[in-house]
Order: sequence, then C-alpha cells, then structure tokens
Amino acid sequence: MKAPYTPRVPRKFIGAYRPRIDARDKASGKTLYADDITLGSRFPGLLYAKVLRSPHAHAQVKRLDTTDAARMPGVKAILTYQDPEVAALPVTSAGWTDGVDTVSYERMMWHRFRDRRVLPDTACWAGDEVGAVLAAETELQAEEALRAIKVEWKVLPFVLDPVQAMKPGAPAVHPDIAPDNVMPEDEVGGPNVFVDKGDVGRGLAEADVVVEGRSIHHNATQNSLDNWCCVVEWNDDRLTLWSNSYEADQSRMHISQMLSLPIHKVRVVSSFVGGQFGRGDTGDQPFFLWTALLAKRTGRPVKFRHTRRESFHDSRQPAIYDGTVGAKKDGTITSMSFKSIGNAGAYADHTMFALKFAPKEVTEVALAHIPNVRFESYGVYTNKLPACMMRGVGNSQLNLVLGQMVDMLAEKLGMDPIDVVIKNFGHEWGTRPDESLTRVLHEGADRLGWAGKRHAPGKGPTYDGTKRRGVGFSFHPGWHAEWQEVRRGEVHVGITINPDATVTLDAPTVETGTGSNTCNVLGCAEALGFLGVTAADIHWVSIVDTDTSSKDCVQTDSSVAYLQSEVMAVAALEVKQKILDRVAPILQVRAADLQIEDGRVFPRAAPKRGMAVKDALMRSDKVPFTVKVCRTPPGDRTGVPYIATFAEVEVDTATGQTQVLRMVVVNDCGTVMYASGAEAQQVGGQVTAVGEALTEEIIYDEATGFPLNFNWIDYQIPTMADMPEVEPALLEVWRGGGEYGACGIGEGTVTCGPRAILNAIYNAIGVRIDDIPIKPEKVLEALGKG
Amino acid sequence: MARAASSRKGAAGKPARKRPPKVTKPVAKKPVRSATRVVPAAHEVPGGPAAPSAISMRVNGQTHTFEVGRDLTPSMTLSWVLREKLGLTGVKVACDEGACGACTILLDGKAVLSCMMLAVEAAGRDILTIEGLARTDPVVEAFACQCEPGYGTALQCGICTPGFVMAARALLDENPRPTMDEVKEGLSGNLCRCGCYSAIAQAVQHASERKVAKGGGR
Repeated sequence: MKAPYTPRVPRKFIGAYRPRIDARDKASGKTLYADDITLGSRFPGLLYAKVLRSPHAHAQVKRLDTTDAARMPGVKAILTYQDPEVAALPVTSAGWTDGVDTVSYERMMWHRFRDRRVLPDTACWAGDEVGAVLAAETELQAEEALRAIKVEWKVLPFVLDPVQAMKPGAPAVHPDIAPDNVMPEDEVGGPNVFVDKGDVGRGLAEADVVVEGRSIHHNATQNSLDNWCCVVEWNDDRLTLWSNSYEADQSRMHISQMLSLPIHKVRVVSSFVGGQFGRGDTGDQPFFLWTALLAKRTGRPVKFRHTRRESFHDSRQPAIYDGTVGAKKDGTITSMSFKSIGNAGAYADHTMFALKFAPKEVTEVALAHIPNVRFESYGVYTNKLPACMMRGVGNSQLNLVLGQMVDMLAEKLGMDPIDVVIKNFGHEWGTRPDESLTRVLHEGADRLGWAGKRHAPGKGPTYDGTKRRGVGFSFHPGWHAEWQEVRRGEVHVGITINPDATVTLDAPTVETGTGSNTCNVLGCAEALGFLGVTAADIHWVSIVDTDTSSKDCVQTDSSVAYLQSEVMAVAALEVKQKILDRVAPILQVRAADLQIEDGRVFPRAAPKRGMAVKDALMRSDKVPFTVKVCRTPPGDRTGVPYIATFAEVEVDTATGQTQVLRMVVVNDCGTVMYASGAEAQQVGGQVTAVGEALTEEIIYDEATGFPLNFNWIDYQIPTMADMPEVEPALLEVWRGGGEYGACGIGEGTVTCGPRAILNAIYNAIGVRIDDIPIKPEKVLEALGKG
Repeated sequence: MARAASSRKGAAGKPARKRPPKVTKPVAKKPVRSATRVVPAAHEVPGGPAAPSAISMRVNGQTHTFEVGRDLTPSMTLSWVLREKLGLTGVKVACDEGACGACTILLDGKAVLSCMMLAVEAAGRDILTIEGLARTDPVVEAFACQCEPGYGTALQCGICTPGFVMAARALLDENPRPTMDEVKEGLSGNLCRCGCYSAIAQAVQHASERKVAKGGGR
C-alpha cells in the first residue's frame, strides 16, 4: 500500500480514503443514466427524432423537399427551418449562461456572439445540424425518413485554418458578426490586447536573456462515454425534460426563455451522467428545443439521442500561442508577452473564455509579480467543429506555452527550471517564494527523482540502442478557490433531519463522476458530527428534479467538491439549534442549557439525564424538519494553490514513438475533501493529458473540410496498456476561505500534463517539438529523419 | 453526419455491415483500429414482418424466446435487445461500433461486445450480463471497494464500469492469477475516460486474491 497524504487538520470524515457513495451501484450496473431512464418501455408512445446534418463544411439549403419523407412509414412530424415555431426561436449561443450560474437571455455571457440558430438554413461545419428534424415511431424509421428528405445545397467556400481565415478574401463564416472571421472585442473578454501591464518592450530591453517560442494545441475533444440524449414530454401547458445535462436549473431557464414558457411550467430531470469533461454548455443544446417542438406537435414524448459519432460536437479550442520572455542573469523575469490565435470553429461558444477569460485569471495570480506583461488574443471563426468547454478550458492551451517558456529560459540561463519558477511566480496577495508553489514543485521533484534523472537536453544515456529518456514538468495556478466562485450566485443546501436522526441531504448537483456526491456526504457527516451520524446515516438525493430539488450547484467545475459542504457547515448550526428547541420540552430543560455530543442530548448540568437524540426526536411532533441555507461563496481574496505535474518519458529515436514511463501529479488542495476521489482525479486526468500530448486529434480532409475520425478507433484515447504509472500526491499548504479552505483540483490535473511530457521529450532528445499531439512522424521529422 | 452516415445495421435479413457481422472480442486484444466507416444506427423493426421463427437465449439463467419478425428483426444487435427488450440497462452502449467495451457481456463464458453481435446470433447461447452477477461477486466487490491510497477509485462516472467488470470476470475465469501486464493487456479493449485504469488494475488483482481465497477460479 502506498503512503496516504497527511491532513493538516485531522477530521473524522472529510479527507477520508473510502469508497464512493455510489460505488456499489455503479460496480453492479444498477446506476441509471439518461439513456436508461428514457428507455422506450418507460415512455408509452415514445417517438424518436433525428436531425439533418450537413455533408458540406459550409453550405446553405436552397430548397428542401420533405414530401417523400413525410410519407415514410412511422413518420409523425417533420419540422424545418421554414416552420414558424422554428423560425421564431431567438438566435442563441453556448454562452447562454455564464458557465456557472443561471442567467436570463439578456445576461448571457457572450451575447455579442449569438451565432447559433436552431435548425438554421446554413451549415457552418460538416456535421452541423441544419434545416430539418423529424420524429418517427422508431429510430430506424426516423433515420430512413431523414434520407428521404431532398436537399438542394448551395455549397459555399470554406476555411479550416485560422490563419488562412484571417486573410482578406477568406470565406466569412458569420459575416454579420465577424466579416473578417475575427471575433470582435466584447465586454467579457475585453480588448484584443486584454492584459497590458507595464511596458513589455522596456522589460525586454532590460533583460539579459530573451527567449521566444510557439506552442500549438490541437483539436482534442471530451469523449464522455454517455452520449447526449433527452426525452421531452409536453402535455397541455407543461414541459418535462429528462436528460444528461449537468445543469438542471440552467436548462430550465434556457428552455423557458427560448420557448417562451413560464419557468414553473418547465420541469427538468437529470440523472447520473456518464462523464462530462466540459462537454457542452446549456446553449449548446439546440436539440432540447427541437425535441420539445416535436413533442408539442405530436402530443407524444420524443427522444433524441446522439450517436457516438454525433457526440463529437464540441472540442477544446485549438490555439497557436507565441511567447516572448525576457529575464535578468539571476533569473528574474522582466517581461512576458503572449499572443494567441484560437480556432473557434463554426460557433463562438466559450472560445473567448479559453482565449481571454482564463488566461487573464492566471495573470492576476501567477504572474502578479512580473512587472511587464502583455496578452493579446484573436478568436477566429472557421468551418471546423465548434470549440466549447473542455476540462481545463483555456488553461491547458496557455500552460503549453507557459511551461515551454520557463523551460527555454532556464536552459538559456543555465538554471534549474524549478528555481526559475519559484523565483518568479506566486500570487497577487502573497510574497515570493510562494509556499504552495515551492512545495508542489519540490514534492514532484523528489517523487520523480528529478535531480538524478535530469540531464542536459539530449545528452542522457541510450537504452536498447535507440531509446532516450528525459524528464520534464509543468506547473499552473489552481483556479477554483472559493473567491473565484462568487459568480455562481447562491449555493443551495437543504438538510432534513428525520425522527430517527437519519438525514436526507438535498445538496443538488448532477453527479457526472467527479465524486462531489461523496464529498457532500462526508461534508454533511462532518458538519453534523454532534449527531453522531456516519455517512451511512445520510441519504444524498441523487436525481436533480427542478420540481422538487433546490437549485443545483452546476457541475461546470470541481469546486462543487467543497462549495456545498461549506454551506452545510453553516446549516449545521441551525440544525443543532432546532434540535435543542425540540428536545427542551421533552427533557424539560431550557434549550440554552442543553448540549448535544456524539448523538446524545443532555442537560449541561446533569449529563446523565440525557438521552439519544433519535429517542428524543421520536418523541417530538416537530420532526422531520428541514434547514435550508442559500449562500453566496464569500469573496475573501485568499489567492490560489498550485499544481505541478512531472513526467519521465522514453523516446525511440528509430521509430519516433514516445512512451510515458511515469508521471507524478501534485496538487495543493487547501483541504482534501475526499482523498480517494481527489487521487482518482489526479490519476484519471492523465488519460486526457497523455492523450492530448501524444495521440488525440481530430483530423480533417483538407479538400472537403470533412472530419475523418469521429470514432474511437481512429481518434485514439489511451487505454490501460497505454498508460504509465501515475503517482498522485495531495498536499495541504495554501488555505482558502471558509470552514475548509479547499480548492477544486479536477481540471488542473489535465492542464500541466502535456507540457510536462513535451519538456521531458525535449530533455530526452534535445530537439523541441511543441505542436501536440506528438505523433511519431513529428519526432522523426524533428530528428531529421522525416 | 446523416449523409455520410447512411450505412446502418442492415434491414430485415440483410446485414449491411462492412464489418463481419459477428465479432466476439478476444479478451486479450485491443479492438482493431481501422478507418472503416461504420455508423451506428437504429435497430428497430422497420415494418413488414419476416417469416416468423422463434429463437431462444438464456440470459442470466432465464430463457427468453423471441419471435423473429414480431419481437425482433435479424438486424437488431444483441445489446439493443438486452437493453430495450429485456430492460438490462447494465449493458451500456457508448460507441455502438466495437471500440469501447462498455457493452461487454459474457457469451458462453467468453467476453463479447454485445453491440457487435446480432441478437439472432445469440440463439441457443448462454448470456451473462452484469445483472446476472451476485451482489457479492468478487469482481463487483473489488470495484466497489477500491479506494486505497495512491490509485484513486476504480470508477468515477461509472458508465464504463459494467463493461470492465464483465471483461475482468472473463479474464479471471481464464486466468485466475493474472500478472499486472496480463491485466493491462486483458482490459485494454475497454475505455475509461475518467481514467481509472490503475485503480481498476488494482481492483482486478484484489478480485483475483478474493476469488483464489474463496476457491474460485477454475
């Protein structure tokens, strides 16, 4: 058995190594996901919908004839872009919400980039949902009828490459929004030069050493195994949606506003979700809307589900990042400037979050002590798959170049890159050296054997004749501290105490695999420690149903792991008082003179006169009772903790094949809420990190703009045999606000992996390859063997 | 891609697959990576009944008989019938084209991808899905309990888990004491995007210990 982490404050439940609360159901196949709860047998009269998809990268429907399709067996309704209920739908975008909180149409995050129409007449990428949707008795009938729709296309010129798209005369993807394909400056992302601190030119002039480099992040995608699906029932004036959306309250608002229904006439039910990883935000769900319209037209429940290939519907933003960094001989960085060109693909979605919003947060924390900093970015429309949210949004792309600059700078200075990092980075409210940063780097270095394994680039020993080994690391500031979650609005928690002192916990959040459900139960047990409850005495309500649940804490990020527990710590005080108030008349002692400990309630003056809380509550006629607390996360600016990933690789210089031998993932968590879950995130995140670094990439046919590998044979996710040993290390150094002072870590575990691997490859072979994924042909080309 | 995606599991009687219609999954091999454009499709009865004939299969110890043409068509996959007809939702369908292993079941004791097999081909065969495992099954137990420091949990979102559990069951039935390399090789046909591979490997080793201790294995 490996060594457990050492908690800063030992607690009874929080921070435990233990199974997930849903592990037994999941391991025995009993957990139900959206496709399971929407089986045809559960919905009498269920119809199945299929949508027309564009076979062209850019095309307009000139004419659409549904006559034959309407006559096909089983077809019950066809909607086209010309139908009034479709045409009336407002233009929308994935920024429908601000990512974490429920907002109205007017408060959409990217209202300047409302570029999505539901069933438009124009397709902006090969695979775009366009023109028509139909419902039939069976899925096969729907599919056959779809093929009977006659479409006359006006094929338009297309562009895939963002640099080409920026050139004069390039085909415009959304001429009304961006005539030159460059997304205009907006209120949220800010100007194109969105950070301009000091004077980077002067900073470079003062520098003794300057390095320049470019990193390219390709088109990776989330790959949740649970394909997106829904059933909509619209009876009389009430609409119900069952889906694997991870944001029930937001979906309700979205549907209500888009379909002009009062909010209370919309019910959204979300079950367990089979993986999220950033997949699709609310506004990226036009299928909810057309499924609803079909349900209304037919008066029957309608199901729409994406096939696996159709589930390649959004991705990480490909980005070309150029960096220039200057430093003094002693390693003090005097200037940092970065310029990025991001490929938004066909729709803006959250591209500006990735290109501007997330990097700006990094400048506010990690780069706070660098005197001269400049960030410039351009989001560019092309006719590729749209880019939206993916685990580590924006941070992953930035880290690829940040870690490269540090590595290049250290080499030029003749310093250990760890020393360069510690010397320069920290956060706005702290001093350097930053303790969190120092500790994560030293922990990672020790565990990997950095000092012994590191050698001059390409100068290490050779193994098996052609193989070279190397080590590398990357670091990043965390970005899910409590103060950064203020824009979530109020976090809701309801604790119901039952007469037998068991607990029903309404801490609604759609469980997508993150383990926040287990964090919630541990947080509740910890907060209600005075009741003597264990996790087994607490029932966490797993289905989010907007009719009965409180507003769900959106699973957009890993901070859900502690946000609801923080509210429980507050709610527990009220729970305690209410129990005392109820027991006082039973024990005939004033509530103020009673005490509760370990499940016993007793008069402070006469402890032996007490009784078990559950016996006392059983005698009360005021149970069960519920305490509901809604609270905005406090905004105390506590800075952020750090993340570091170290990697050792072996590169075969004969074949170009890179094998990752070992990884060490270090997270300062503030407080570890659930150790086994946090380690699962650390280890598990490396499947995406290794995939993004070495194999994962959507490939297009340049001649047609058609994506070629929308399947898991040709788009290669690492399997068990592909993965190295990954060692997770949990630290508690930094402390955030609140009872626990925790921080979400899930996304950052992915963020540093690719750069750690790339730096290790450089250390192994002495040639930089900074264009991921690092496929063997790129290695051979870099070695002059291409 | 509706246009390009026009191939489908064939209509009545004529499988239109570009792949061999029956692909049992050799447990120790990865699925073949190829560029074949086979698009997952719907599976329902398109209409006109074929000549009725009954087929039976044993599922989790119970015999089910289907009238071909009435209850199912020759183009329906086994995974579809197990889920939609028998309600066995522990059989997960993620890729529907043999690339991820989520739909793994045991067919006469061997791990098979049920999305790559037609239901009619299961006539007379003995099928075990995760619903057929005892709640105390050592593999289920091991996956559920895995939490020791250094590996994380053997499942997170859990949608790939039934497939892993069944593949692990088949592996341990064939090889009660697999080495770590054999576990990795044996389960590399299953994808876990949450990335629980190392904890899954630990769980399989623990399951092996439990099975051997119970006198299990063969």
